Amino acid sequence: MTLTSPAEHVDTVVARPQPRRGVSFRDAGPPIALVVIFLAFSVLSDDFRTFTNVQNIMDTAAVLAVVTCGITFVLMMGSIDLSAPGLMGASAIAVALLVANNRNGNDLGLLGVLVAVAIAAALGCLSGLALVLLKVPSFMTTLGVSAVGLGLATLMFNGVQPNITDKMLASWAVERFLGFSYLTWIAVACILVGWLVQRYSRLGRYAYAIGGAEEVLSLSGIRVKPYKVAVFTMAGAFYGLAGVMVTSQLSAGLVQAGRGFDFQAITAAVVGGTLLTGGRGGVLHSTVGVLLVTVVINGLVQIGVSPYWQGGVQGLIVVVAVAAAVLPQRRRNQVVK
Amino acid sequence: MSTPVLATPAADVGHADKGGPTLGQRLTSFMPLIALVALLAALSIADPDFLTQRSLTAVVRTSAPLVVLAVGATLVVLCGGIDLSIAALTSLSTVFFALWLPDLGGLTTLAVIAATACIGAVQGLTHVLLRIPSFIVTLGGMSIFSAVALVISDAGPVRITDRAATEWLTLYVGGYVPMAFVVAVIVVAAIALVLRLTPIQSWITATGYSEPAARLAGTPVDLVKVAAFTVSGACAGLASVMLVSRNFSGSPTMADNLLLPAVAAIVVGGTAITGGHGSVWRSLVGALVITLLRVGLPIVGVPSAWEQILYGAIIVAAVALTLDRSKVLIIK
Amino acid sequence: MSIDVQPEQTVSEPAPVPALEVRGLVKHYPGVKALDGVDLVVRQHEVLGLAGENGAGKSTLLKALVGLVRPDTGEIYVRGERVRMRSVVEAAENGIGMVFQEQSLVPNLTAAENIVLGSEGSAVRRGVYRWETMRKMAQEQLDKIGSDINPLARTDTLSFADRQMVEIAKLLRIEQRSQHPPVIILDEPTSVLESKEIETLFAQVRRLREFASVVFVSHRLDEVLDVCDRVSVLRGGQSVGELPTAGAVPAELHRMMIGSTGSDDHYHGGGVQAADRRESLLSVRGMSGATFRDVDLDVAPGEIVGIVGVHGSGREDVCRALFGAEPTTAGDVTLDGKKLDLSGTRAACAAGIGYVPAERKTEGMVGPMSVADNMVLTKQGARCTGPLVSPRKQATLVDRWIDRLSIRTPHRGTAIQRLSGGNQQKVVLARWLIAGDIKLLLLDHPTRGLDIGARSEVYRLMRELAGNGVATVLLADSLEEAIGMSDRIVVMSDGRVTKEIDCPSGAKPTPLDLVKEMV
Repeated sequence: MTLTSPAEHVDTVVARPQPRRGVSFRDAGPPIALVVIFLAFSVLSDDFRTFTNVQNIMDTAAVLAVVTCGITFVLMMGSIDLSAPGLMGASAIAVALLVANNRNGNDLGLLGVLVAVAIAAALGCLSGLALVLLKVPSFMTTLGVSAVGLGLATLMFNGVQPNITDKMLASWAVERFLGFSYLTWIAVACILVGWLVQRYSRLGRYAYAIGGAEEVLSLSGIRVKPYKVAVFTMAGAFYGLAGVMVTSQLSAGLVQAGRGFDFQAITAAVVGGTLLTGGRGGVLHSTVGVLLVTVVINGLVQIGVSPYWQGGVQGLIVVVAVAAAVLPQRRRNQVVK
Repeated sequence: MSTPVLATPAADVGHADKGGPTLGQRLTSFMPLIALVALLAALSIADPDFLTQRSLTAVVRTSAPLVVLAVGATLVVLCGGIDLSIAALTSLSTVFFALWLPDLGGLTTLAVIAATACIGAVQGLTHVLLRIPSFIVTLGGMSIFSAVALVISDAGPVRITDRAATEWLTLYVGGYVPMAFVVAVIVVAAIALVLRLTPIQSWITATGYSEPAARLAGTPVDLVKVAAFTVSGACAGLASVMLVSRNFSGSPTMADNLLLPAVAAIVVGGTAITGGHGSVWRSLVGALVITLLRVGLPIVGVPSAWEQILYGAIIVAAVALTLDRSKVLIIK
Repeated sequence: MSIDVQPEQTVSEPAPVPALEVRGLVKHYPGVKALDGVDLVVRQHEVLGLAGENGAGKSTLLKALVGLVRPDTGEIYVRGERVRMRSVVEAAENGIGMVFQEQSLVPNLTAAENIVLGSEGSAVRRGVYRWETMRKMAQEQLDKIGSDINPLARTDTLSFADRQMVEIAKLLRIEQRSQHPPVIILDEPTSVLESKEIETLFAQVRRLREFASVVFVSHRLDEVLDVCDRVSVLRGGQSVGELPTAGAVPAELHRMMIGSTGSDDHYHGGGVQAADRRESLLSVRGMSGATFRDVDLDVAPGEIVGIVGVHGSGREDVCRALFGAEPTTAGDVTLDGKKLDLSGTRAACAAGIGYVPAERKTEGMVGPMSVADNMVLTKQGARCTGPLVSPRKQATLVDRWIDRLSIRTPHRGTAIQRLSGGNQQKVVLARWLIAGDIKLLLLDHPTRGLDIGARSEVYRLMRELAGNGVATVLLADSLEEAIGMSDRIVVMSDGRVTKEIDCPSGAKPTPLDLVKEMV
């Protein structure tokens, strides 16, 4: 009584003799595209090829890079995460109320940042728990948790916008080190941490393996549920930090701090070569994706396209990228939901 | 997305024998109605003035666009997919309406609905032909529609001066029932009737429950899916006309906050997010429940900020109750 | 029909404790008895072959041995001690491991990670990987079986044979858990290997015998005899005997596997004689696809053609391709003189082709839908007046077919998943018959998982349809069934048609004749 359909066997049979051509292209494609697009815009626009603009690009990319770091681990497992807007909103308001601000007497400084990140991590943990305990698909749990986060943010917001007066947090967006803002360096640190987790920790490797063949892990006696919850928690922490970074940029806490970041991060990760079905890609891939998306949008603005098109361009990019990724493995009778 | 290699056959076979609706499904088949009645009762107790013709009229009038949106998207969910673009598409079409009204006059409503139906069909075709998961297609769609709306409206509301074209929606049937709600119910009834009287019902259900089986039985799976997205798009168009009739303007973000309530309405109604199980009537009830919650929270003294948190909790809980777990062995 | 094999202990001379022993294992599935009192002994340091036709209970037995299936009754002993296994992990702790037919490796991890998966030990300290330690641990395992794979290579970049080596290396880690020589089960390890790879594998199996016991399962009887010391045979969920391989020939083994052939009556006789087969209804010329090449096939009206072949012969895909469910790259297919459109299942249905998939529960029926809805799913026109469904028309139609095929269901509105397997299958078959326009039926294991009574009813229905001129392509569950039901048998091997054998009633070939052609 084998429970595989004939099609599956075919897969094994056919897959064997073929050299794995797609892989190298998939890995090398996005960086090449990044360089080509960068060069193309440099030729097209004088403003684009200035160092100030490169600084600009990096500053814009910083927040997205941190969000993408978190979402990459979730996508690697084959799950999806739409909770970034809610979690970022919650942490953005929380941090604005915890560091020195115009609404209350708090002045927790770095501790405030940590608390804000912890709040987001707890919410991420909530999505993970709902996924493994209630068995609700992740795109639904995270949609729900995102709403919860926005609700919390609105409660804390309470009608009056908290403006931050904290020197440390304000300096993140303004002060520069080696020409790039502190925010950019924070993003670089996050990428490094993400890469280390992905490469050298059991959590990262198992997240990767869950996307590859979850049932094999269970068969080997590994309890995957705690790892799933941990991945969502970690992603939450990254979103929390991103929320703090937005607050630093705006010098104020906004409920809408994370608006659109869920979709942008998915776009960046997918463009970088992370498969939505899981098991492929990684933090470095996603970073390339972040730069690609940011460069495209920045470049389009520099050559005179309305910034309102930003979302539209991203929408097109993600659909094309996903289509390109699934095209080689299309099969008749394959179920796509 | 591969099927798990090793499922214990025991569990597999055992389930087939039990069959029938699960306890959760039995419960949820009446849950939306019970919830509706309970909510009404609770609100009447909290505020004795609530159960008056006037406030009930206000509730059903507010619910009309949500009902239409939820019902359209229900078809997509029944096929096993999801449409996350409905709210953004509605916003876009309010802008369409406002911009086209001066030229098209009375025909604007039809033109807007036709346009959104086409947009829905394009999304459906993208999903079916390129084999991209529906939530990615519609998430992409959401982003694109918002961008287009921002660009063509120049990121601000477009006022409507000629109110005659939408006046009929603000009328009251028999003096009490708002026309918008009547139209919404007619839409629900029409869709339900078409499903019931034609083979489409069993095509949709088969596609939602088991796409491979439906395909191997020669069911026009792709066609059904595209049709579902088309209807979902058309409903977004109709909802936008209702919104415009109330706000006298089109705006690129007008309906954006309707996505969550619409999804909540569908799952609260008891339609399984895994597809197959559910109906459009359920979504009508679900939409009423959600609207009552929205209207009722301030009455019982809960700050409206809790609304979002409640939506989140409701969505997760309702999905957990209605999910068909036998179908997905590994939940991603 | 069972001849119980006495457990080895009763032999007077004292034998060493068997590595693994199974006594009286019984496992029921609804409607089917998968295991009906199986006994099995695996001695230490031997390679035991396990043979049996499809449905003989091999898979269920193996799954019971590694804790994936829990038997209803019966005992399992490991080195004389009774054990209960509830998971693969518990089986591993008892020193039993299995190389699955569908490999159980994580494709995107390195070979080393797969080898130590679940028992990383010192290779992961406080959740942090130490790649060098892990590489060494894996290398040690690979050295044991003499494999030269790079442990840090990603598993999905390895060849199939290499992945099998990784799997065996992984299995050998259970030594660390049980402190005893392990029992290693190889389920159809050769089914997708090329002959050179098979030789390497066999060398490995012989090596394994030095420090482990091996249970080897294969369809290819010559292989079983070649590599095993002893063969145990299962039939109908029972142990029917065993055989030392020294000096044995496949014919002997095969006779034990199929037992006495049931009387032809079981298959309800009849059929088309070669002389009636002048014009063909279905004609396939040079059809090629991903797993089959240049397939020619003719089926006359009223004829039942069985396609036989081992796992991987491509016969299932030929069947699906004819129904438009699998892409083809070349070939001319005509049905009733008209060119057939193979682009999709809709076209096939419209042309009068019906397909009964092997996976009834996931592909054949829509479980939560009613019997009536499942029956009219394809031929919607049969219940409609114009574009509208007529409830009265549907009720009459469905009730007539429930009656005609004696489908036992409480009501036509009952969800099909509540019916027994045989009745489900009859509803799936009825789907193609209700409109009366069926010309060609493609049956992929139509009796899989059915009990004897239900099988017999399906056979009778097939005969009746053939009598009405319906052409049938049958992928049978067993050779016996293929021979019993078919008027002609087409043998496929490695995606090609290798032989056609006439199979008229009264002059049937033996299963052995077919086996010779299949491998």
